[in-house]
Amino acid sequence: MSENRAPDTVRKTAADGVGGVERTQLQMITRRFLRHRPAMISLALLIVIVLFAFVGPYLWTWDHLVHREVPPSVPPNADHPLGTTTAGNDVLGQLMRGAQQTLKVAFTVSVLGTVVGSLWGATAGYYGGRVDSLMMRVVDVFMIVPLLVMVAAIAGSVRGGTTWWAVALIIAAFSWAQIARVVRGVVLSLREQEFVEAARAAGASPGWIIVRHLLPNAAGPIIVAATLLVAVAILLEAGMSFLSFGIQLPDISLGQMIGDARTAASTRPWLFYPPGVLLVIICLTINFIGDGLRDALDPRQTMERR
Amino acid sequence: MLVYTVRRVLGAIPVLLLASVLTFVLIDLSGDPLADLRVMQPPPDPEVIQLQSERLYLDRSMPERYWLWMTGVGGNGDIGLLQGKFGPSTQSATYDIGANIAERLGVTLRLVGAAMVFALGLAILTGVVSAMRQYSKLDYTLTFVGFLALAMPTFWFAGIVQQAGVSFNELVGTQFFATVGDGTYQAQGLSPWGRFTNALAYMTLPTIVLMLTSFASWSRYQRTSMLEVLNSDYVRLARAKGLPNRVVVRRHALRTALIPLTTVVAVGMAAIIDGTVLTERVFQWRGLGEFFIQAVTANDSFALMAWLMLSGTTVILANLIADLLYGVLDPRIRYE
Amino acid sequence: MHERRKTLALAAAGASAMMVLTACSGGGSGPAEGDREITWVINSLPAAWASISGAGGSVYTVQMLSGVVPHTGVFQPDGSYEYDLDILAEEPVVINDDLDEGPFQYSFTLAEDAVWSDGTPMTGEDLRVTAMMYASPDEGYCTTCDSRGTTNADMIDTMEVDGKTITITLEEGLSDPEWMSLFDSTSAGGGFYPSHLAEENGWDVDDPDQLGEFFTWLHEARTEWSGGPWMIVEGDLENQVVKEPNPEWWGDPVQLDRIIMPFNTDEGTFVNAFNNGEFDGANPAQFSTDVVTQLEGAPNATVTIGEGNIWEHIDFNTENEWLQDVELRRAIFTAIDRDDIASRTYGEAYPEYELKNNHMFGSDSEYYVDHITPSGQGSGDTDAALEILEEAGYELDGDTLMLDGEQVGPFRLRTTDTVIRNNSVQLIQAHLAEIGVETTIEMTDNLGEMLGGQDYDIVEFGWSGFPYFTSNPEQFWHSESGSNFGGLSNEEIDELAEATGSAPNRDEAAEYANQAMEILVEEAYVLPLLADPQYFFVNDRVTNIEDNLNTSLRATYNIGEWALAE
Repeated sequence: MSENRAPDTVRKTAADGVGGVERTQLQMITRRFLRHRPAMISLALLIVIVLFAFVGPYLWTWDHLVHREVPPSVPPNADHPLGTTTAGNDVLGQLMRGAQQTLKVAFTVSVLGTVVGSLWGATAGYYGGRVDSLMMRVVDVFMIVPLLVMVAAIAGSVRGGTTWWAVALIIAAFSWAQIARVVRGVVLSLREQEFVEAARAAGASPGWIIVRHLLPNAAGPIIVAATLLVAVAILLEAGMSFLSFGIQLPDISLGQMIGDARTAASTRPWLFYPPGVLLVIICLTINFIGDGLRDALDPRQTMERR
Repeated sequence: MLVYTVRRVLGAIPVLLLASVLTFVLIDLSGDPLADLRVMQPPPDPEVIQLQSERLYLDRSMPERYWLWMTGVGGNGDIGLLQGKFGPSTQSATYDIGANIAERLGVTLRLVGAAMVFALGLAILTGVVSAMRQYSKLDYTLTFVGFLALAMPTFWFAGIVQQAGVSFNELVGTQFFATVGDGTYQAQGLSPWGRFTNALAYMTLPTIVLMLTSFASWSRYQRTSMLEVLNSDYVRLARAKGLPNRVVVRRHALRTALIPLTTVVAVGMAAIIDGTVLTERVFQWRGLGEFFIQAVTANDSFALMAWLMLSGTTVILANLIADLLYGVLDPRIRYE
Repeated sequence: MHERRKTLALAAAGASAMMVLTACSGGGSGPAEGDREITWVINSLPAAWASISGAGGSVYTVQMLSGVVPHTGVFQPDGSYEYDLDILAEEPVVINDDLDEGPFQYSFTLAEDAVWSDGTPMTGEDLRVTAMMYASPDEGYCTTCDSRGTTNADMIDTMEVDGKTITITLEEGLSDPEWMSLFDSTSAGGGFYPSHLAEENGWDVDDPDQLGEFFTWLHEARTEWSGGPWMIVEGDLENQVVKEPNPEWWGDPVQLDRIIMPFNTDEGTFVNAFNNGEFDGANPAQFSTDVVTQLEGAPNATVTIGEGNIWEHIDFNTENEWLQDVELRRAIFTAIDRDDIASRTYGEAYPEYELKNNHMFGSDSEYYVDHITPSGQGSGDTDAALEILEEAGYELDGDTLMLDGEQVGPFRLRTTDTVIRNNSVQLIQAHLAEIGVETTIEMTDNLGEMLGGQDYDIVEFGWSGFPYFTSNPEQFWHSESGSNFGGLSNEEIDELAEATGSAPNRDEAAEYANQAMEILVEEAYVLPLLADPQYFFVNDRVTNIEDNLNTSLRATYNIGEWALAE
């Protein structure tokens, strides 16, 4: 594959051969990613949203809680740029906190789910046979327990309601299986290819082959899946909130704000639109970034572009 | 192949067993089926509670209940999965869980079937088109639409779709689109054509809502795998040999590119089941999704377990089919 | 006949849709011109075909059976009680309420022309069998009847039937101030049931096992019988029921040809579906500010809001080591600003909200006494609260309330996850912070388990208080009651509660209840907030319809009189 690289990017020293190749590959990926306009715009937007969610609360007067000083249910004004709720929450304060909790849940889920799922799926796919069979049975069991019920069961028996990390762990615990399934499918068809057989013949250990050869070659699908998982986690959290199994009040998430304001679209739009639009924007940017990453990471599409 | 199939089917049995244990333990720990009865005002007679707890087998130990639930041996004849009986319900003494599921299955299948067919068709079409015209305006538009679809919470989107349906009605001056109910009652006594338009009126909006998520994610996968195939050596070779683009795409690329989709669709079954819970609620269809919410609300353990086992079996079947299709579609995969 | 009915039912889809559909179906039996039909939504699923059992009975079952199950009386929207003189020959009478003279005795006589929909006359036997099914199993009438309202029936010693009349004698020493509720709309079954159907099905009602089978059958089989103006001709317990006039109805004829009652569990769908002409109205179980506002804005809707029968209150767990101190309890209740809570939960859509100052009686009741306002509890008067605390030896250290150098609390403030309760507990948290009391909010999705297990320090939840009240004090506050969750134990209250339940009439019972509440307020055990408002909306094309918050039937209480505007 290295023949595909432009000669000027190969700057290796005798002492640092592999590292050099790696750095240049990374540079290429970075360059490809930087050229991906939607992804770059999305990344910038996401950074702004992350700052809004994590730094914003330190700068803004009101937090997400009810205060007696906050007038109930007023439309946007100078004191409360996004208005207030019936009980007297500042919507801007809620939005910051809600975005923060939602992002924490989503990223935690994605990282945990992807790492566990990829390793699990790749291992199963690589070994095949009995190991594959056994490992995939475990995946099957995890996949057939629907998330909502799990959360209902756990949220009901955890004293003191559900915190963001509990929600994240619960979602992650049951969503890695899907990634494992996808990765295993890809690895199944990859493991018969020459480069894997070559590596095996050269005496590489299975762990090495999985991490160095199979997973990087499955990077496209993994990235797509991990990206989707972020959006899935955000939307699952929203769905859970709708059925009232999500993060418990007085803490708040975007999903919860959307659920609460579900019927407010025409009566109190300041409650309805901000959390919904913010959630959609977050999901959109994350998906575009994933898309850009995919294009940048996939070594097989370097040359040809029509 | 046949041997593999048989082995997989046999292999599904321990999975189901394991799942049944997990399901049973989780549901059993998760709530008291008599919670509602206990806080009733005025409080019911202790004898009533005693009667109920005997009826629901709550007077037995947990392992004993599991055994009962699976086999029905030692029960009152209303329990035992292996005998096709799902157990007593908290919702009423005569609420037949099995019959109820059977009755609602049709409602849900109608919705799920329509949503899957349309989602799949649309996903393949847009995925392929997007991949073939990568980086074109069309690709960007389709990508954006797909991402937008993936970014919307189901119940939020449902509200918008309902609103759009109502606005359409107002605009055209009809009452064509309906926003609640499955239309079975309204379809009675209609001519075939009348039934068709009635179905259209009641099914269009919920189908759009339920297919949204699946369509978008399948379309993304389809685009990805199509791109991969288009950039693969053998497609390049086929092109280099001068085969017309059309033939390359249809005969070589598309077939290969459909393979990953089988897994994705099978995996997507669980998401669709989740989706039906929300969609049926918002459109007030009395299918299995609503059955689930009802069971949760009523602390109806046996109904929940039945529901979980059913959804579990469905997912297992879907996965089995996906695995078999893999072998059929991709000659590189060998099942030995 | 059946075919035609089905076709006619299409009119529900509305006139213009009819034109589209019939134009397309080419001929058929034609549009249902002039069919007078109303679609009335019931806000949840009824679990059974009769409302007697604990598992099947709910307000939704009762509403579904409106105009079908005959009953002897109902509270009117203005709070007055009216006997149903279509069903009864005359107002029922108490024969004896002086326990020194003999046992408590009363009788009902049914109207001469009252018949079931199959033509069989209604008799005292129907009442007798119904009372047997209402009683708890240990009364010996029925082995498997799990009635949800046994209070009145369990007092019965003997029942004597003479044609249309039943004479009921209570057990020695018992009196029942609310005897008239035995067969009225508030009873477990929402009225009384046709006993001759037991016989037709081969069950002997005097055999406890067979009566149990009849009881089950009533809940299980679709209600095809009727003793009211309407009868159910079609439907199930999941989607809807369809009602058509009962041909045997002897009272004033109904003004409609059909009523369709679809079950809808999601209030969020109401506005769109109503604007879309899919139904005519409903009695929603919840109260969402935005839904109410939108419906009020709809040009063809009438919306009314009033105090419902569920009232919110805050309770203490008196077994908490800090909360054993009545002074601390009083101070906490004083610091809670009820008006702030009410205006920030319901105030926007219902500015006329009323705080609840009596645990039993609404402000329009003749028995109403304001117990709360004079006590200063619920006023949000922080200074007064701090004064109470200071006198009791507590001191404020910065923002923290201390007693003997130890922090008071923090307390676990719990409730179920509804919008209203969420808001309330957040506000209470803010109010209590002002007197240095720290609270942590913990939601639960299992109210019963939490209450039963006394798994809270401070809790907000709801009780339902119908016009009938005499059994409530004993249930809520008696030290031995299973529903006295917070563990209050006060001998005086116990005595007064018992006296309320066994008073010879309502007036005397109310007096005992008010005395009990007086002590209860001193104990600072339960702080009533307000009755949750409930709303009702209906398309203006429907007339003779109004909400009735004094019965579970709600607007369907006079379903026989509903009509369409000309």
